[in-house]
Formats: sequence, C-alpha cells, structure tokens
Amino acid sequence: MSVLSRLPALGALRALPGRPLALTVAQRGMGGGGPRTMDITASRWQWHKFKDVLHFYFMLGAIPLTALAFAVNVFVGPAQLAPTPEDYTPKHWEYHRHPISRFLARYFYTSHQEDYEKYLHYIYEENEKKQMRLIEKRVKELMAEREDTRAHYYRPILTKYHKKVREEYDQMQHERGF
Amino acid sequence: MGENRPTNAFKEFSESVISMVDRPVTWFRENVVATNRPQYNWYHQQFRRVPTIDECYTDDVVCYTEANEQFKRDKQVDNEILNILRQRQEDCIIYEKNDHRTKCAHIMEEYNKAAENWFIKYGDLGIYGDVKTAYMKQKHRLIWERRHGKVGSGMKTDMD
Repeated sequence: MSVLSRLPALGALRALPGRPLALTVAQRGMGGGGPRTMDITASRWQWHKFKDVLHFYFMLGAIPLTALAFAVNVFVGPAQLAPTPEDYTPKHWEYHRHPISRFLARYFYTSHQEDYEKYLHYIYEENEKKQMRLIEKRVKELMAEREDTRAHYYRPILTKYHKKVREEYDQMQHERGF
Repeated sequence: MGENRPTNAFKEFSESVISMVDRPVTWFRENVVATNRPQYNWYHQQFRRVPTIDECYTDDVVCYTEANEQFKRDKQVDNEILNILRQRQEDCIIYEKNDHRTKCAHIMEEYNKAAENWFIKYGDLGIYGDVKTAYMKQKHRLIWERRHGKVGSGMKTDMD
C-alpha cells in the first residue's frame, strides 16, 4: 500500500472519483399552485390521429363485420349442392353457395341473364344503325358516281325571285318605254 | 377396418394431444352449428343449346353473339375434359413408371386422340379467335382434305 502511494501517477489516479461528479437525481415536479404555464412540447397530433383512426376502423369496421361474418357462417351456413329438379328453373341467386353472395346477388346485383339480354339488345340496335349507315354510304357513293339523282348533291335553284325581278323589269320597261 | 386397429402408447398419446383441440371444435360444430343451420340448396347453372354459327345468317349479330358465347362455354368444358384425361394419364405413368408404355397404353392413346381432336377444333385460332375463326378453320380444313386427302395421311408421291 505504501508502495502504491509513492507512485505519482497512481496518486493522480486515486484523486479521480470513480463516480460521476454531478448526480442527476429524478425529482418529482409536483404541480398544484403556482402560475399557469404553457408547456412547450413536441406535437402529439399524429399519435392522437392515429389512435382515432385505429379506433374508427376497428370498432366500426372490423368488429361489426367480424361479428356479422361469424353469425352468418355459424347460424346460416353455406348451401348444399343439389341436382336441378325437373320442371324448376332456379332463381339467379340460387346459383351461389355462400349466404352473403346469395343475398347480394338477390338484392343488389343484376343477374347473368339480365346482363346477357341487355347486351344482346344493345348489339342488335348498334347493328341496325351500322347497316343503315352502310346503306347510306353506298347510296352516296352511287349518287356521286352517276350524278343522276335530285338528292344529296342537288341544290334546287329557286326561280321565283328571278321571276319577280323579271316581271318588275318588264313592268318598268312598259311604263318608261326603254 | 378403421376402428379396431392395434394401437400403442405413443399413438394413444398423440391422439389425446390432438383431441384436446379436436374434441371442443367437433362438439361446437355438431351441436351448435349443425343444429341451427337451415338446409337449402344451390344448383349448377345449365345453359340451353342455341343455334350454332353454321345456322346463323351473315348479318344476324344476335345469333352470332349467342353462338360465340356457346362456343366459349364449350371450349371451357372441353378444356376441363382434356385436363381430366391428362391427369389420368399422368397418374397412370407415375404409378407404373418404367412399365408405362405397356400398362398405360390405352390411357395414353385416349389422351393423345383427345388432344388431337381438341387441337383440330380449337388450336391455332390466335388470341382473338372466336367462333367465326373456328368455323372458317373447319371450312379450310375440309376444302384442303377434299383436294389433298385426309390430314396426316403422308406426303404425296411424284405421280405423272
């Protein structure tokens, strides 16, 4: 021990404290009394908004839909496949298996047959228009080629105004003499 | 055959572990779910046969559209038929590997014939191939066969 205390470097080492000089002690800042202060903190708006949105989609979305899906699947259940009975055409929603698909097909979606018939009607109408346009085009071509019809390429010359002018001119000549 | 197989302790132990999950689930299913569900049916849609493309007038677009839809449905059905035959052939080959050329000969023959017929009807129509293209393909094939003999009957020899 006395050997150690004679070495000056070790003496300097011993002077260094092993612990930090200034201890940070957590102290409770108890409010109550004192002037009103404004706490300048970083914004927690994003965190609050996130919690808000999470609650919205979870409480109003996930939970009711999960409950609905559970109830439908447990208490109603999917349909059994059966061969089509003779003399019965199934309704268009009876071609679906799951009860929710059946519900949507029955009350919201248009059936395949309805779509098909609407499409066929549309095709028919457009084809009629197409045939009429083709005929018109052919007629115009022929009229332009033969130039023998008083139709598309004919501008009628109205002669009644020319006649009027001629009459007045004749009248004037008759009155004036030249 | 299934119920009274000889068991051992390990099998019984693993069965009991599995049944810890299986028995409550099965109970729930049989007692809560199956008793409360109504029994109702769903059906496969069956489409009526409509006139095919060779029975349509050239300016009858509605007939053409319906024949096209029927053609697409028939093509789907034929695809599935060919799939089943191909699966049969593959299963037979895997089962009888290295003997398959003798033991699976009839199944392979059946599939090859079906694939050839499928290709005659639906092959090489292109991405926009519809019922009209297929009809024209058949027409060209029949004309070709009328002029040159059956497809696949070999090359003509030089005859003077």
